[in-house]
Amino acid sequence: MSSITYGKVTRDILRPLFKPSAAYMGLLGLCVAGVGLLLFCWYVQLTQGLGVAGYAPPVFWGVYITTFVFWIGIGHAGTLISAILFLFRSKWRTGVYRASEAMTVFAVMTAGLFPALHVGRAWNAYWLFPYPNQRELWQNFKSPLMWDVFAVSTYFTVSTVFFYIGLIPDLAAVRDKTRGIIQKTYGFMALGWRGTDRQWRHYMAAYGFFAAFATPLVLSVHSVVSWDFAMAQTMGWHSTLFPPYFVAGAIFSGCAMVITLLMPMSLIFKWDEYIGMWHYESLAKMCLLTGSILTYAYGTEYFIAWYSDNPYEWGIFHFRAVGEDYAWVFYMMVFCNCLAPLIWWFKKMRTNLWVLFIVSIIINIGMWFERYNIIASALAHQYDPNAWTYYAPTWVEIGILIGSFGWFGLWFTLFIRVMPSVAIAEIKELLRPPLKSDEAAA
Amino acid sequence: MSYFDRHNRPTPGAVKGVFAHLDCLVDGIDQLKKAGVKDFIVTSPLPRHEIEEMMYEGRPSPVRWFNLAGALFGGSSGFSLAALTHLNWPMIIPAGKPLVSIPAFIIITFEATVLFGCLFTLIGLLVHCRLPANDLQYEVKDPRYSDDHFGIIVNNLTADTAEKVRGILAHTGAVEVSGMEAAHAS
Repeated sequence: MSSITYGKVTRDILRPLFKPSAAYMGLLGLCVAGVGLLLFCWYVQLTQGLGVAGYAPPVFWGVYITTFVFWIGIGHAGTLISAILFLFRSKWRTGVYRASEAMTVFAVMTAGLFPALHVGRAWNAYWLFPYPNQRELWQNFKSPLMWDVFAVSTYFTVSTVFFYIGLIPDLAAVRDKTRGIIQKTYGFMALGWRGTDRQWRHYMAAYGFFAAFATPLVLSVHSVVSWDFAMAQTMGWHSTLFPPYFVAGAIFSGCAMVITLLMPMSLIFKWDEYIGMWHYESLAKMCLLTGSILTYAYGTEYFIAWYSDNPYEWGIFHFRAVGEDYAWVFYMMVFCNCLAPLIWWFKKMRTNLWVLFIVSIIINIGMWFERYNIIASALAHQYDPNAWTYYAPTWVEIGILIGSFGWFGLWFTLFIRVMPSVAIAEIKELLRPPLKSDEAAA
Repeated sequence: MSYFDRHNRPTPGAVKGVFAHLDCLVDGIDQLKKAGVKDFIVTSPLPRHEIEEMMYEGRPSPVRWFNLAGALFGGSSGFSLAALTHLNWPMIIPAGKPLVSIPAFIIITFEATVLFGCLFTLIGLLVHCRLPANDLQYEVKDPRYSDDHFGIIVNNLTADTAEKVRGILAHTGAVEVSGMEAAHAS
């Protein structure tokens, strides 16, 4: 980066703004079609009832909760990169953190749809929030589902504030490079930021506090999500292993999603000076670490089930691996999450763009199947053999699953055209500042 | 004079220096301080420790008190919400399990601590940065300051002190000095 100047950074990062190509409009159209599919499927469910979602005793958690956990997990990498790596002063985060943070916010927005979808009567979804009923009876704060409401809403609020605060100096840079109504709009969003010594002083202090507060959220949110399962007396769920296992899985899938999203973005916008192989390789190493923890957790789950000598516990794990209903889901999960990423142990493979891109997609497919494996197989195969059943997603659920990618993609696609997707001010911090003494020496 | 005119015209008694180099800027701040000039603003496109150190000499930002207050408020209100609502409708729980359960309520306490800690920090940031800021003086609103230049804006100058300040800014390497009188290029 020695040849890059402050001015070049501003120009390069603002270059793609407001210049939609035909391919971009096509992608946007695809996302809008996905949202249309989501809305249509939701309409079908609202008018015909939750039966169209395949809910039948004893399985009342299915694709919606699977996809909810999947999207919450995706969000984790953004907070890890923006907050934890900021506190560690990791330099590679700078290029990728803005888009990763945006991914976090949009992923949580996508996840937020699913409780409303899952409860059926979506217009009553506000009952989840803490307020008393007519008899002054409040929600049960000892319930993991109530913890989840607090955890996810706090996560969304903190992530959004952190994301917006990080954007303010760059919104000011957009304001100063545009004219007319666009300038006024960005000036409004930048809150009048001018980069004065007073502003930077308090900004940097506050940013550090936001990072310090967002850091435990990375660990806590998916721990709390895991307790939605682990606190229940359900075989295959009731385990103290779940919180670290879920957190590792969340970071694993999130880092893979960052590779999936940022690689095409960087190549299309010609940002290889800012987001390059250094970043992809670092993300691949994060995936290797968290993927190894995940593989270890899968093994530990089986060991605990066997060692507990509990026939019900062992029964569900045995069923997952060799039962005829869900074994393919289990092996899909093992292949995608445990075996496929191993190729990244070879430097040649983790520095190959095609391998990086394809394996990152495989990981995300595997992480969705992991949650499906946990939820569907456990509920379909509980204590009473007479109640055993087979749950498979209906077309409505699959439509909503696909539509959720459209919803997420719509926000992300809009974001990359109207906001600086790489942090301008922080990239400048990585550069050697312009010095008169350097010019004199040259 | 309308509100907008007031902030889109040069401020009486202000001199602005634009710098292309950080070392020149730091030298300029140092020279101004040695000359006894106190009322000035420094702008930059990125946070630099050199500038903060020269301007504030290691004094920490008061935003931290907002953070602490928010965290304490959030933690205590989160725990109180969970505990008082359970005490308000006491149920007999078998096996001697406590009505106010510390492990269960720690989750709500923690989340409320983080939530209010962040929201109070946001308020502290906006208050201390004086954001939204629509009343900043004309000299601070130079588009170069968000791109690749630094600036020093000195306020409340008389004709005599302005000449001295312009001299310091030009001497320390400002690429443009303006205000009070016609611009002086170094």
